[in-house]
Amino acid sequence: MRTDKAWVIQCALSRICGFCTESLGRPIAFVGTREEIARNAFHVPPMHQSCAQELMRGPEADRDWRIVLTSGFEFVRPAREDADRRPTYQPNSLLPS
Amino acid sequence: MAISDVKEYAHLTEEEVDQLGRELDAIRAEIEESRGEKDAAYINRLIKIQRALAAAGRVTLMAGTQSSRTRKPAVALGVAFLALHKILENMEIGHNVMHGQWDWMNDPEIHSSNWEWDTAQPAEQWKHSHNYIHHQFTNVLGYDNDIGYGILRMAREQKWTPYNIGQPVYNSLLAFLFEWGVALHDLDIERIRKGEKDPKEMKRQLKQIFRKGRNQILKDYVVYPALAGRQWKTVLAANATSNVIRNLWAYVIIFCGHFPDGAMHFTEEEIEDESRAEWYLRQILGAANFNGGPLLHIMSGNLGFQIEHHLYPDLPSNRYAQISEKVKELCAKYDLPYTTGPLHQQYGQALRTIIKLSLPNSWTSSDTPEPPSPSRERKRRTDDERPSRRRELGGWSRNGASARA
Repeated sequence: MRTDKAWVIQCALSRICGFCTESLGRPIAFVGTREEIARNAFHVPPMHQSCAQELMRGPEADRDWRIVLTSGFEFVRPAREDADRRPTYQPNSLLPS
Repeated sequence: MAISDVKEYAHLTEEEVDQLGRELDAIRAEIEESRGEKDAAYINRLIKIQRALAAAGRVTLMAGTQSSRTRKPAVALGVAFLALHKILENMEIGHNVMHGQWDWMNDPEIHSSNWEWDTAQPAEQWKHSHNYIHHQFTNVLGYDNDIGYGILRMAREQKWTPYNIGQPVYNSLLAFLFEWGVALHDLDIERIRKGEKDPKEMKRQLKQIFRKGRNQILKDYVVYPALAGRQWKTVLAANATSNVIRNLWAYVIIFCGHFPDGAMHFTEEEIEDESRAEWYLRQILGAANFNGGPLLHIMSGNLGFQIEHHLYPDLPSNRYAQISEKVKELCAKYDLPYTTGPLHQQYGQALRTIIKLSLPNSWTSSDTPEPPSPSRERKRRTDDERPSRRRELGGWSRNGASARA
């Protein structure tokens, strides 16, 4: 799955699934590591719940990944002083997984 | 004038831009923390009003036109109700819902992924052409297709051709047929003309537009007129009138967002590796507000707060008035222009630009104002010393079918 900056921005603003590229549904799923979940800041574009599950079953999947569900998210561009200069997605209305 | 270096143009140091960014972040955080029931009540109430207007309009036209005694007032009232319904639905509800402003409510209907609005453009294409292309590349020449919608020359940096002489005519057509102009917006006609558009993607988009357009035509020009029986012609004409009123209103409001004097254009160099604070700054310089009371702001989708909308496109629109006070203070603090004025003045300036730029640059003078002078000593270059590049529009489209592979 593409995670380059241009695609991450396009998925966020066009509100499309980063996995299948179709319009997002509800709930919105994010896949992230424990650290990303703890910081509530994800790097991989939003997905349909089923697409996130498929990604987790795929060869690229990491054991540390978890799925987080939300109804909405904030798209946060990096600040100049940020060590990590990648944009992040911050879920704003978490739902039970 | 197109700006290649926003910080330099705004006479701010890198540290000052970062500090401005932190202050704008704090405004965002404050709204996010206080977002709640009152905001949800606002959008729910507005949707109820909009739906009541739609029902009142349809019933008034169907029932009121049956008797010759009530026909004229019924047509006037019905058109007014329907036009208000369409304006509210498109501007304050549809546009803002599709930005994800209300996603946090977890409402099954009022959500960016579900909302399909009462206009010819499919929601999916709007979210690409507007939310992504326009909001990410705001006023960047060659990227943002909202600069003149691909048919009008709106910046002096855009090359003049004899085609531009017809701008006043194209502009009038666009205003009256705005719904259909917007419907074709994401197709990127210029890329199609140059043979650069992915045929698969074009076919997919055309199918979507055909389905959505057909449904809109069936609703307003077949089904509801048919329900009025012998008065079908009256209802059809009333529905067409309400659509034209909505078109003209939406056109005026949208043209006031980026085309009045003071809203700047940018070159592609500016967006390379842009930080959040620099992105904020570009949004402030590239947008223009207009003044008015609460009713005018609701009827214009709160786009009279275009600067605030561009800074925070996903925060609830009912908060823009509150946010604008703080943004205005920040602009004064950092000596940044905060472009605003009465609606008639802002539209007048946009119209003057359309007419002026129908002619070659050498025949007219620029109306772009200089930014306010800094209150403290800062070195600033003159316009002649600033680099700017000539760019043509239409160089951008969605990634196409390749993105879907």
